[in-house]
Amino acid sequence: MPATQKPMRYGHTEGHTDVCFDDSGSCIVTCGSDGDVRIWEDLDDDDPKSINVGEKAYSCALKNGKLVTAVSNNTIQVHTFPEGVPDGILTRFTTNANHVIFNGDGTKIAAGSSDFLVKVVDVMDCSQQKMFRGHDAPVLSLSFDPKDIFLASASCDGSVKVWQISDQTCAVSWPLLQKCNDVINAESICRLAWQPRSGKLLAVPVEKSVKLYRRETWSNQFDLSDNFISQTLNVVTWSPCGQYLAAGSINGLIIVWNVETKDCMERVKNEKGYAICGLSWHPTCGQIAYTDAEGNLGLLENVCDPSGKMSSSKVSSRVEKDYSDLFDGDDRSNAGDFLNDNAVEMRSFSKGIINDEEDDDDLMLASGRPRQRSHVLDDDENSVDVTMLKNSSSLLKEEEEDDQAGGIHNLPLLTSQRPFYNGPMPTPRQKPFQSGSTPLHLTHRFMVWNSIGIIRCYNDEQDNAIDVEFHDTSIHHATHLSNTLNYTVADLSHEAILLACESTDELASKLHCLHFSSWDSSKEWIVDMPQNEDIEAICLGQGWAAAATSTLLLRLFTIGGVQKEVFSLPGPVVSMAGHGEQLVIIYHRGTGFDGDQCLGAQLLELGKKKKQILHGDPLPLTRKSYLVWVGFSAEGTPCYVDSEGIVRMLNRGLGNTWTPICNTREHCKGKSDHYWVVGIHEKPQQLRCIPCKGSRFPPTLPRPAIAVLSFKLPYCQTATEKGQMEEQYWRSVMFHNYLDYLAKNGYEYEESTKNQAIKEQQELLMKMLALSCKLEREFRCVELANLMTQNAVNLAIKYASRSRRLILAQRLSELAVEKAAELAATQAEEEEEEEEDFRNKLNAGYSNTATEWGQPRLRNQAEEDTEDSGEADDIEEKPETHNHGAVTSSNQGRINPFKVSGNSKEPAISGNSVRSTNILDSMNKSSKKSTALSRATNNEKSPVIKPLIPKPKSKQVSAASFFQKGASKAGKTEEVKEENSENSSSESPPVCPQNTENQRPKTGFQMWLEENRSNILSDNPDFSDEADIIKEGMVRFRVLSTEERKAWAAKAKGETVSDGAEAKKRKLVADRSRETENQTEKAKENLNLPKKQKPLDLSTNQKLSAFAFKQE
Amino acid sequence: MDSAEVEFLAEKELVTIIPNFSLDKIYLIGGDLGPFNPGLPVEVPLWLAINLKQRQKCRLVPPEWMDVEKLEMMRDHERKEETFTPMPSPYYVELTKLLLNHASDNIPKADEIRTLIKDVWDTRIAKLRVSADRFVRQQESHAKLDNLTLMEINTSGAFLTQALNHMYKLRTNLQPPGGAQSQDF
Repeated sequence: MPATQKPMRYGHTEGHTDVCFDDSGSCIVTCGSDGDVRIWEDLDDDDPKSINVGEKAYSCALKNGKLVTAVSNNTIQVHTFPEGVPDGILTRFTTNANHVIFNGDGTKIAAGSSDFLVKVVDVMDCSQQKMFRGHDAPVLSLSFDPKDIFLASASCDGSVKVWQISDQTCAVSWPLLQKCNDVINAESICRLAWQPRSGKLLAVPVEKSVKLYRRETWSNQFDLSDNFISQTLNVVTWSPCGQYLAAGSINGLIIVWNVETKDCMERVKNEKGYAICGLSWHPTCGQIAYTDAEGNLGLLENVCDPSGKMSSSKVSSRVEKDYSDLFDGDDRSNAGDFLNDNAVEMRSFSKGIINDEEDDDDLMLASGRPRQRSHVLDDDENSVDVTMLKNSSSLLKEEEEDDQAGGIHNLPLLTSQRPFYNGPMPTPRQKPFQSGSTPLHLTHRFMVWNSIGIIRCYNDEQDNAIDVEFHDTSIHHATHLSNTLNYTVADLSHEAILLACESTDELASKLHCLHFSSWDSSKEWIVDMPQNEDIEAICLGQGWAAAATSTLLLRLFTIGGVQKEVFSLPGPVVSMAGHGEQLVIIYHRGTGFDGDQCLGAQLLELGKKKKQILHGDPLPLTRKSYLVWVGFSAEGTPCYVDSEGIVRMLNRGLGNTWTPICNTREHCKGKSDHYWVVGIHEKPQQLRCIPCKGSRFPPTLPRPAIAVLSFKLPYCQTATEKGQMEEQYWRSVMFHNYLDYLAKNGYEYEESTKNQAIKEQQELLMKMLALSCKLEREFRCVELANLMTQNAVNLAIKYASRSRRLILAQRLSELAVEKAAELAATQAEEEEEEEEDFRNKLNAGYSNTATEWGQPRLRNQAEEDTEDSGEADDIEEKPETHNHGAVTSSNQGRINPFKVSGNSKEPAISGNSVRSTNILDSMNKSSKKSTALSRATNNEKSPVIKPLIPKPKSKQVSAASFFQKGASKAGKTEEVKEENSENSSSESPPVCPQNTENQRPKTGFQMWLEENRSNILSDNPDFSDEADIIKEGMVRFRVLSTEERKAWAAKAKGETVSDGAEAKKRKLVADRSRETENQTEKAKENLNLPKKQKPLDLSTNQKLSAFAFKQE
Repeated sequence: MDSAEVEFLAEKELVTIIPNFSLDKIYLIGGDLGPFNPGLPVEVPLWLAINLKQRQKCRLVPPEWMDVEKLEMMRDHERKEETFTPMPSPYYVELTKLLLNHASDNIPKADEIRTLIKDVWDTRIAKLRVSADRFVRQQESHAKLDNLTLMEINTSGAFLTQALNHMYKLRTNLQPPGGAQSQDF
């Protein structure tokens, strides 16, 4: 398996560098010519800990928490690791030392200097020094024999010497290197190395090969070389198992050999070709860290390792890195060290094969160590990492407890059966947090940043204070509080500021509310939690506050401080958010494994009707991520963000599932940049967040600026037009779910928004349909039509027939019929349901229920105003009759958009269409569509639908006529059928007056009027009179070109082959005359009007054809 | 044109503010502004930004170039180059002056920025003077000056053209002295 090379990154300023791993391999430590030692948790670590050790650092070595460095003031210094506290000077030279190393057990160091001297110094007692004299030029490199008997050194005088440490004599000396006068001029720094463990071989990089010398005999055992090596080798290092040898050259090549087989395992070329001057093998796994002479740091992974083991190690390191952010920086990494330390100790009695060592780690974390041992280790830990414990002891202890709990549970089984646990590793639980807050350990931090305002906390020597600032100063002025109680969590709403602190030895955990919107004079209250109960998360809603505590309780308060419900949480809380009456609680459902968190979400409504929407359902998170933000959109839909930057929103339209709506990482420029989310708006669709360069959260100063991101659902092939429109459509659907929710819960919302949304969606669907049509995907067209509303389907039928796709048109019209039937059925059901709980709802004072009933009334009146025949009135008078419900609503559901509208209907249309004019304007729909649409909207927002006119027969009739209209050139059978229906209807008008409506227009003008009625109505909303409409229609019709008028006429004729247009007209006139005689007369007069008047409007026909043209 | 007029023109430049009030779109002759959402950055003309700032209705977000590091680079570049270098904004002096006068609390390192802009300005004006001087001395008929901002042109434009006019007059009057004198005498 080839090694993977990660891209090099900047480590230090240009110049010589050195690199080593810490004992457990959890950190990479580098030093460079800028005099800094940096501790990297990972190659991707953007915030490495820097320790300044001097002006220039030449070499560093790390063992047992001691970091020794050779620095430019000619000393060898010791610092504690990882704190970086100076711990004294071990020895001094007359010039700077070039290389410093630890021996195997970390008790001694050896340093070689430019003053030709080599010194071995006892770390504990620096008076114990041994000097090795014999080199005639600056010493380049050193290597300790793992058995502590010999010390090898290379020098600029060209010699490589092996010294007996005990008597400081030179055991052997080889003239191997080129002579030079100074380290800077040396071609190679000749970092030689003893084979670990046995110390059998000494590897020395000499020109283009590595010479291996046998211990004791000091004979050249063999050379390792490779054809690819074109330049001198600079550095060699052994793998910890002693099996592999890695060498780096001065032109940036890294080569790894298997020493036994002498095979070359890996060849990796450094991108830029800079000289490799530091090479270090990970103590447990196949990673090699290297640095070059330009100060860059690189990492090779999966070096000489069987595939399986690596993935887990990589995972663990990544997870650790992620969590280190989460658990307040360095604390967590220390915890990791501590665990890994155990692994190191364990290793001594394990077999010591590199592959198994990784298992050790797993074992330690996952299952098992005997209890005693863990105690011992805890003690150990306390003694070593005092400062760390100071920082956040509680957190760490919690971690340990978790680990131990898991360990004890699994222990018996595992220890008895096999020594190593090989299964998935539990993830440490993420700590509770407030959304929009930055980590607790910062001295200047955001406690909360939400859509209302910002709470900042300053905690430094001079001041311990909280600053509250409101985005909108009209809510409240900015306030400054002194933070004497050390509040750590806060929330902010437009009513109050809520603060909470943890308990201390003397004081209980407190919840403090500054209720600034209170109208009385006391605007504050404080509640103490019971003993041993700490507040972990808080949130504010409208009129209430909630606090989740460490005893898994959720306490609700009114905003004025009255205690309300208390209930138990199913698990430790992670975060909470409130909005209006809604409360969302995220908690730990269980233990996650392999870096995943196992979270659950509860969504409660705390209004008058208290109910639980989400019953602790699992919260989907991206793999290996954790939650970073949870809250509500401004419109009240729960959303959350995970550490991989995926924003998800509750899809109430799909059974309360979670849909990813944005990937903030896609917008990031750099790999380590993040967006810190502060708010989500559904209308307009905005994700408000703060761009953070190279970090996960922003600093308080300079004041960060908000950026707005757009949403994008993760649909496939969004580069294509189809994918794009699909994404847009579903996004539009998704982002208007809240309207349904608001409607259902009796909140006010803007009708126009809803209509706009429907319009937008239907337009998109039409576009998609046109596109599929173009691509000859007729089946797809039907599928799309399935998503459309009734009126859009009609438009689709028209489009299909116009683009001469008769089969499609036929299918679509079938679909339209089906849809109508379905709609009717659901309406009937809904109606019944609504009837049942209507009273309750009314009592509950839900305004929407009232309006639902108000609308039908309105329509009643409107219809009664007309000179309609008696039947309609009769029926209208008993709108609440149940058995009528099913039938009648089926009638309105299957409104035929193509037939001439009966006069009995007109008023209803005009009454309704005023409301829906804005939809009609640009959709170019026929008047029928307008009614259908307004009905559709009615249906959606008010389930209680007024039964209109019950007529059992009508459905079939209209279906037939519908069909014929859709496929106007269909066979004669339909024609006949239609004729029949028309005849029957016209023959028996008093019995079934509605049938007259089903008759189609008999002249071109009437057809045209059909089409354009909505336009006329929308342009002249005050037209209630049919005559006026016709008059206006006449005017407009005249404006059409002759061709167009002819086309209409031909159409009308084409549809009525058997009947003369005249006859039809007469019949129609007759029908109408039954109802509105005088109106018709007027209309007739109008028909005879000269063609004087000039039009103002383009005909719908033209618009529609333009639309169709555009699509093609 | 005097500098007040130039400043007036500069007030049309768009700057970003973070309002602390909520207001729908406002429709003005010059174009629509807003909508204003508290806490959300919005671009408005400088005149409105200053007006709102004076009424403490907003916080100003300094333009991107109003940053010490960038300005230092700009200054060094300006000093190094013989000719005028392009400026980040055609109204950099006016913007800096107005923003720093009215919203220095929202601009980090306001004093340094003021000094830097002054340095740049001085360098450019010096260049302008030197080149004008050379232009006049060498009696050139035309010269090309790129990347000058309106304010800079305004400082010397009127004076220079007038001066050149005068000089032209003087020079043309200087030509025929011999003939005239001989007639007198």
